[in-house]
Amino acid sequence: MFTTLHLAIIAPFFIAIVVPILYKYFPRTHTGWFVLFVPILLFLYFLRFIPETSNGNTYHAVFDWIPSLGIQFTAYVDGLGLLFALLITGIGSLVVLYSIYYLSKEQEALNRFYVFLLMFMGAMLGVVLSDNLLVLYVFWEVTSISSFLLISYWYERDKSRYGAMKSLLITVVGGFAMLVGFILLYQMTGTFSIQTMIQSVDDFTEHALFLPTMLCILLGAFTKSAQFPFHIWLPDAMEAPTPVSAYLHSATMVKAGIYLVARLSPIFAISGEWLWLVAGFGITTLFWGSFNAVRQTDLKGILAFSTVSQLGMILSMLGVGALALHFDGIDNNVYIGATAAALFHLMNHATFKGSLFMMVGIVDHETGTRDIRRLGGLMTIMPITFTIAVIGSFSMAGLPPFNGFLSKEMFFTAMVDVASFQQFNMDTFGVLFPVVAWVASVFTFIYSMMLVFKTFGGKLQLGQLEKKPHEAPFGMLLSPIILISLVIVFGFFPNILAYTVIEPAMASILPSLLRNGEHFLVDIYFWHGWTVELFMTMGVVLIGTVLYLTLRKWKSIYSLFPKHLSFNHLYDTTITRGESLSAKVTGMYMTGSVKHYLIYILTFFSIFLLYVLFSTDAFALNTDHLAPISMYEWLLAIVLALSAIAIMFAKNRLATLIILGVSGYSVALFFVTLRAPDLALTQLVIETVSVVMFLLGFYHLPEIAENFKKARFQVKNFIISFLVGFTVTVIGISASSTRLFESIADFFPKASYDEAGGNNMVNVILVDFRGFDTLFEILVLTIASIGIFVVIKLRLNEKEER
Amino acid sequence: MTNYVIWTLLIPLLAGIIMLFIPQRVILQRTISIIASIILLINTVLLVFQIQTEGIQKMELGGWAPPFGIILVGDMLSGLLVLTTALVIIPILIYSFSSIGVEREKKYYYSIFFFLVTGVLGAFLTGDLFNMFVFFEVFLLSSYVLIVHGSTQKQLRESFKYVLINILSSALFVIGVAYLYAVIGTLNMAHLGERIASLTEPAPILTVIALMFLIIFGLKGAIFPLYFWLPASYTAPPTAIGALFGALLTKVGIYAIFRTYSIIFVHDPAYTHTVLGVLAALTMIFGVIGAVAHKDVTKILVYNVIVAVGFVLFGVSTMTEAGYQGAIYYVIHDMIIKAALFLLIGALVTVGGTKYLKQMGGIIKYHPALGWLFLVAVFALVGIPPLSGFIGKVLLIQGGTTVGDYWIVFLMMVASLLVLYSMIRIFLQGFYGKSVLSSKEEHGTTKGLLFPISLLIALSVLLGIGAEFLYPFVQTATEVLLQPELYINAVLKE
Repeated sequence: MFTTLHLAIIAPFFIAIVVPILYKYFPRTHTGWFVLFVPILLFLYFLRFIPETSNGNTYHAVFDWIPSLGIQFTAYVDGLGLLFALLITGIGSLVVLYSIYYLSKEQEALNRFYVFLLMFMGAMLGVVLSDNLLVLYVFWEVTSISSFLLISYWYERDKSRYGAMKSLLITVVGGFAMLVGFILLYQMTGTFSIQTMIQSVDDFTEHALFLPTMLCILLGAFTKSAQFPFHIWLPDAMEAPTPVSAYLHSATMVKAGIYLVARLSPIFAISGEWLWLVAGFGITTLFWGSFNAVRQTDLKGILAFSTVSQLGMILSMLGVGALALHFDGIDNNVYIGATAAALFHLMNHATFKGSLFMMVGIVDHETGTRDIRRLGGLMTIMPITFTIAVIGSFSMAGLPPFNGFLSKEMFFTAMVDVASFQQFNMDTFGVLFPVVAWVASVFTFIYSMMLVFKTFGGKLQLGQLEKKPHEAPFGMLLSPIILISLVIVFGFFPNILAYTVIEPAMASILPSLLRNGEHFLVDIYFWHGWTVELFMTMGVVLIGTVLYLTLRKWKSIYSLFPKHLSFNHLYDTTITRGESLSAKVTGMYMTGSVKHYLIYILTFFSIFLLYVLFSTDAFALNTDHLAPISMYEWLLAIVLALSAIAIMFAKNRLATLIILGVSGYSVALFFVTLRAPDLALTQLVIETVSVVMFLLGFYHLPEIAENFKKARFQVKNFIISFLVGFTVTVIGISASSTRLFESIADFFPKASYDEAGGNNMVNVILVDFRGFDTLFEILVLTIASIGIFVVIKLRLNEKEER
Repeated sequence: MTNYVIWTLLIPLLAGIIMLFIPQRVILQRTISIIASIILLINTVLLVFQIQTEGIQKMELGGWAPPFGIILVGDMLSGLLVLTTALVIIPILIYSFSSIGVEREKKYYYSIFFFLVTGVLGAFLTGDLFNMFVFFEVFLLSSYVLIVHGSTQKQLRESFKYVLINILSSALFVIGVAYLYAVIGTLNMAHLGERIASLTEPAPILTVIALMFLIIFGLKGAIFPLYFWLPASYTAPPTAIGALFGALLTKVGIYAIFRTYSIIFVHDPAYTHTVLGVLAALTMIFGVIGAVAHKDVTKILVYNVIVAVGFVLFGVSTMTEAGYQGAIYYVIHDMIIKAALFLLIGALVTVGGTKYLKQMGGIIKYHPALGWLFLVAVFALVGIPPLSGFIGKVLLIQGGTTVGDYWIVFLMMVASLLVLYSMIRIFLQGFYGKSVLSSKEEHGTTKGLLFPISLLIALSVLLGIGAEFLYPFVQTATEVLLQPELYINAVLKE
């Protein structure tokens, strides 16, 4: 049944259809105002689910799409789905509001922008609220496409198109792998429903396909969530308008991979490979992203790498959270905290990163540049923007009293706990986790400070800016102010999220740990005493400050990495080399020469079939059912063969024609000896007519060209023609010698006379038994004659072609 | 009761013959074409429903019972292909009206068009292997005429190669038929199937003949390494003819392989179907390499025709329910979307004034509808959901993984990705980018071209979203393929 919930998911698509109309007929109103209603209403709609999910209830509604293939559009709301749905619609509302001020209605094609944005919103809701894996995949690909379209929004810019292509290719690679993974899951479980799979999970964890399936699906998640080394698309995706970057490429779409990992945790998380892969890739990405963010000079570039890094951090927490599954129940199970931290940080990241993107958008909008080498000293000119930047960056750096501090502490706790786990080599390599986490946090601190002080601190360089900067209009500031207030609110009162959204989502990720009616304990607070985590944070601030101040002195380490070894370089060369290699390969055999094509085809034909014939032992020679060969037939055969050979050596047309006639007439004589006078007559007529026609035609033709006359014997051509003849003959002999059944031919002599009433069997076959063939052979002749007529009569000029 | 099977052939045949007599009456020819194609469509719809409710339909020609006479057999596989053919020719005809030019129309264009359709439909419907050869000749001869129709330099050059290679393959066809007759003693396909199924001992000669038929049909269907004739010859004639070829001709080869490899040559699938799978995989890969290699938009498209052949035949090679269903969904999808893409590329070349990507740019600025239709078509082609290519691809993957052909599934996904790359380049460089022409410099318009394209795209979208509607029919078709007895009994026993 199609329910309100389905409608809520699909609604953005419907509105997207109306947008171009609104844009056309209400040119005075910014289209964004119409669009704004969609996410706000949806947000309010989804809010109403909170009481349900926080009680541990779930809601699902099935709409049969392609039930025969197991594809139902099952809308499924549980804690995890709802958390994302609220994020999508909530941030969505703010982003649309922001975009109204960011994109001018005079200069930009707003219809396109909002159509794509709504498409994305609907698709993203579909991803997080579908229980059926294939439907999830459908929406997943639509998010990739809308992202592609939004990145290439300013399609005249080369960089936009480059970034769009890159993001599409990388996310689609992952998408395809994921699709294969989903189908393998289907093969193991017989269902596409995630919830049904979770119930039968124990039955297939030992399956041989379990690991490949997991790898395929993780590839999808990692590419989408920009995990190392697939992160390279995200920085280039920053060519999109800033509202898009804030929305898709930091708050929502890139978290689809995280969603998938969380969603499928109940299926895969029990295995050690999952733990290592998810946590390992996560922590590597965390480090690599933060390390590279520091070298960026474009504000959006910093934020892009920062997003990569933070996504890695969330993923590593989810991975580590899987350790909890190796304990019974939730009592004294410290690893549960990692999952809570992941979800909490997911929300926090959306708030502070969203506001930072909007802040950067404002700076860009007001000064005309995002280059930190040209910016500086905006503190007094743009005080509100500055405040937003400070709060957002400090939260990101993990400083109190903001929400980022809380989740960063929880992250450290999780990483420290990893080292004490006793399985999967965690006790030996596990210590790397807290170390890398700490180093990455230092870099995070550095780039967070860069964001604030390189932009707003230092000296104002008016000459470097394209516009004279001033504070942004209130409307533009509104969205980031709301987000930044959330940073503070979540910082002081984290527990408003704890049991409303975080705990229900945890229940979706770790369902096997809960007994009936049980709940996870989520309690987030500032002061844990003088713990390791607190010292780690203090270390981050201390070392981070020192490194930030001495940035110039050690920045040269970045140039140690040779450019041609980077993943970006790999991507670029794969594309260009791939194209030129394809052109080389194709050019090698597609020569345009029909002679070459015939050589390939005939060589394949004969060698392949000969191989099959002899390797399967199909060759047979059996003359039992054959009549003895008379002397006449020997003679004819020799004449026929000689004439066929002789035709090669004919030097003028007349000779060719005569020799051709010899072979034709000898075939006719064969019919005579085989007692088929009517066939012989037919063959004679054909030969005679064609010889006469050729002669008439030759009269009008010039001499045979010189190069034809000089054509010499070519070994290659001889071998090929010999092979073809040999193949056809040998198979013919074998076929003729292996008569497996009686031929149906015996039916015809009697039936021709008795039933068809004809004395000449051949004629009866032609006009009665197989008269249908004859009818269409006549059509063939008709077509041929029309064809000749047309070729002669119609000569068009190539230029007029379309 | 009307026999829709025979009318399926008579309608286009008669339409073609009638129009032979009125070459100068262009408007009348167009009217007849459209009416005939609509009647044909209705007829094929009725045929499909008849097959669904009453089972396999047949027509014994001249009243001679099989295996002695010729029989036309409409099972659901044939029915669906016939229906799809009837569907795609309408937009191609409409596109012809505003693009093919009056000179061509006056020179029997529509007659030959319908003769070609007759040949294709006949090949789909016949139950007799020799009769299939005759229908092959009908559509081949028509295609020879259409490819050279207009006698531009390029057409003359390429048609020579096309004709030469196809005559070779026709000769091989006859030789193959002779071999098969020598060994099995019959040419009725059901009878062949019955006799071969009754064999108790291995018959390696049949394996050889089966593979020879794979080569014969592969030459038509454009599989590796037999497709060399295709790229140049499909780009030589005008767009509408290219679309007709791209949508229909390779599909006949595919159908013939589909039919013979599911009903006749099932004695040694470990050998024959493995070869088929390997060749299908190579076809995908070499096809897509060709598509990536080119910067000429028409060439990019024709190489994608080859890729799709590989996809469908891979499904056939798995001999599984999912594989067969996938192949059927995919072949229907491909007929529609290839027609659409040929028309789209034709329109792009018309308005862009060039075939070369490097000289194009920003066309979407003046032709937004064309651009977005193209983008949708590309996504459908790649199998991005919920468009038509998706279901087929999902089922093909399922078929492949069921029998453990993981590496072919892998190659298929790689090929799909490169298909996307090759086509999206056209969108990014041709439609997007800086405009190279001002609106006054535009070469021609898309007037009259967008409507038929939209029809095809709408069809593709419907096929994707409404896949459930089609499913019972696909299932009926698959049943017959999985249980050839059904086909054999319907033809021989009833």
